[in-house]
Amino acid sequence: MSHDTDQHDHGHVHLEYQPALPLPNGKLCLWLFLSTEIMFFAGLIGTYIVLRFGAPAWPAPADVHLSEPIGAFNTFVLICSSVSIVLCLEAAKANKTGQAKLMLWITFALGSLFLGVKAYEYSAKFAHGIYPKRPRSLLYEKADVTYAAAVRKTLMDRRIALENEKSHLQENEQDIPAHLDEEISQASMLESGLATWTERRVAQADSPAMQQQLLDGLANSIYAGHGGGPSSEVIDQELAELATQESEVEQQLRDLSKEQLELEEKTAAGEDHSERLAEITSLSTSLPNDKALIADRVGTLELLKNAEHGLNEYFHEEGSSLILPMRIPGGNMWASTYFLLTGFHAIHVIVGLILFGLILGKTLDKSKANFIENTGLYWHFVDLVWIFLFPLLYLF
Amino acid sequence: MSDHHAHDDHSHGGTGTYLTVFGCLVALTATSVILAQSSLMDSSPGVAWAGMMAVSCGKAMLVIMFFMHLKWEANWKYVLTIPAMMMSVFLVCMLVPDVGRRQRMYSEERWTFAAQPAPEHHGADGDTHSGHSSDADHSH
Repeated sequence: MSHDTDQHDHGHVHLEYQPALPLPNGKLCLWLFLSTEIMFFAGLIGTYIVLRFGAPAWPAPADVHLSEPIGAFNTFVLICSSVSIVLCLEAAKANKTGQAKLMLWITFALGSLFLGVKAYEYSAKFAHGIYPKRPRSLLYEKADVTYAAAVRKTLMDRRIALENEKSHLQENEQDIPAHLDEEISQASMLESGLATWTERRVAQADSPAMQQQLLDGLANSIYAGHGGGPSSEVIDQELAELATQESEVEQQLRDLSKEQLELEEKTAAGEDHSERLAEITSLSTSLPNDKALIADRVGTLELLKNAEHGLNEYFHEEGSSLILPMRIPGGNMWASTYFLLTGFHAIHVIVGLILFGLILGKTLDKSKANFIENTGLYWHFVDLVWIFLFPLLYLF
Repeated sequence: MSDHHAHDDHSHGGTGTYLTVFGCLVALTATSVILAQSSLMDSSPGVAWAGMMAVSCGKAMLVIMFFMHLKWEANWKYVLTIPAMMMSVFLVCMLVPDVGRRQRMYSEERWTFAAQPAPEHHGADGDTHSGHSSDADHSH
């Protein structure tokens, strides 16, 4: 037959056409899909790399509660699941249905474990106030007046919420738990001793450098990062200064009341001292406020002495739900990229688990081999993406 | 198609091969973790990062070759994977001038709200980004 054709074609090149690529259509489609997935994740990972190395600042893993051992464990889990799915395919091809089913269940369990660990990691981030977006996110790029105002507002909101809770309990004539009063007094102490104190000192500061130092002090006392919190020597020094200030204010108050008495006597004798007396009255109302502010600052510093790693870590250890705004340079961009990359990867894991779920209950003989192979290819790709994400997100 | 089935029945892979690959993958993961903990990360982070990426590429190749069976597939594999990889590299290169260098074009207003440059004691990061922080100073 072919000999005949050759003769008719007078020695023209004879082409043999193949009906299609030498692989099943399903697998071809899956590979085409995977090639688009390569571009999708290359876009995401590439953007991450470009953003990360183009950023003026980027948080260290410890600053944002990233744990390398957990990431490494998850890598191990995914590698194990890759092996089990490939062994499942081998067993199905050899018609060993029991073994294939065992391997598929192992893969499914490992995939679920990966997601569970991921969920644990996410919840740890959320518990520390790390979210990708405001208003939940408490990450601030730098310590400035906006940051100080955010700290004050958080503490004020906290105090008001606690006071509302207390009055609600009082209305219903229920017992007020002791810790509620403690928390209210703590919140109001911090509101003035931490936020208002800093804001006032910043307003009175002589130079921008001094202002920045005060704001950095505020940020460090809340979230120390791996640089460490305020040292106890600095705190003791400030406490000594405050003690002097307090005695000065007390002395001033005593002097004023003495002067007031003298002036009142003179007024009774017919002299006019109304101007000075008005001044004294206003001073004797503002000075006790100053004294209270100093007392709140002293209380705040005593609290800071116990909070070596910053107030947020202290609250977290105490089981308090209070989280103050944190200064983490580059933290917002980090959170956006971290949640986007791991989130898209987690969605792919979920899709993989759904695909496995479709055949979990079925007999996995040779007829299912194609399905298992295609699902497995997809699963290996998910593993592949994590192979790049793990060092980029956890180790860099 | 009969060719294809005959090809499928070849005894490639096998449990032994897969377990060897698994061992290699675990060892390579451990290598990148050790690299990240080593002093190299403080002295020359660029080298450590390149090392970790090389390890990742090695792991990726192992997964693609053995678990995804590409080692044993016909030449169609190149048609599908190589253009996708080229497009990926092209995409990342296109991002660099636009996104990566954008800090050099920051307006003063944007610097007002930008992150503080990494402090000096960060070492590695401070060195990498010192160029940007000096830009910040110029704009003020």
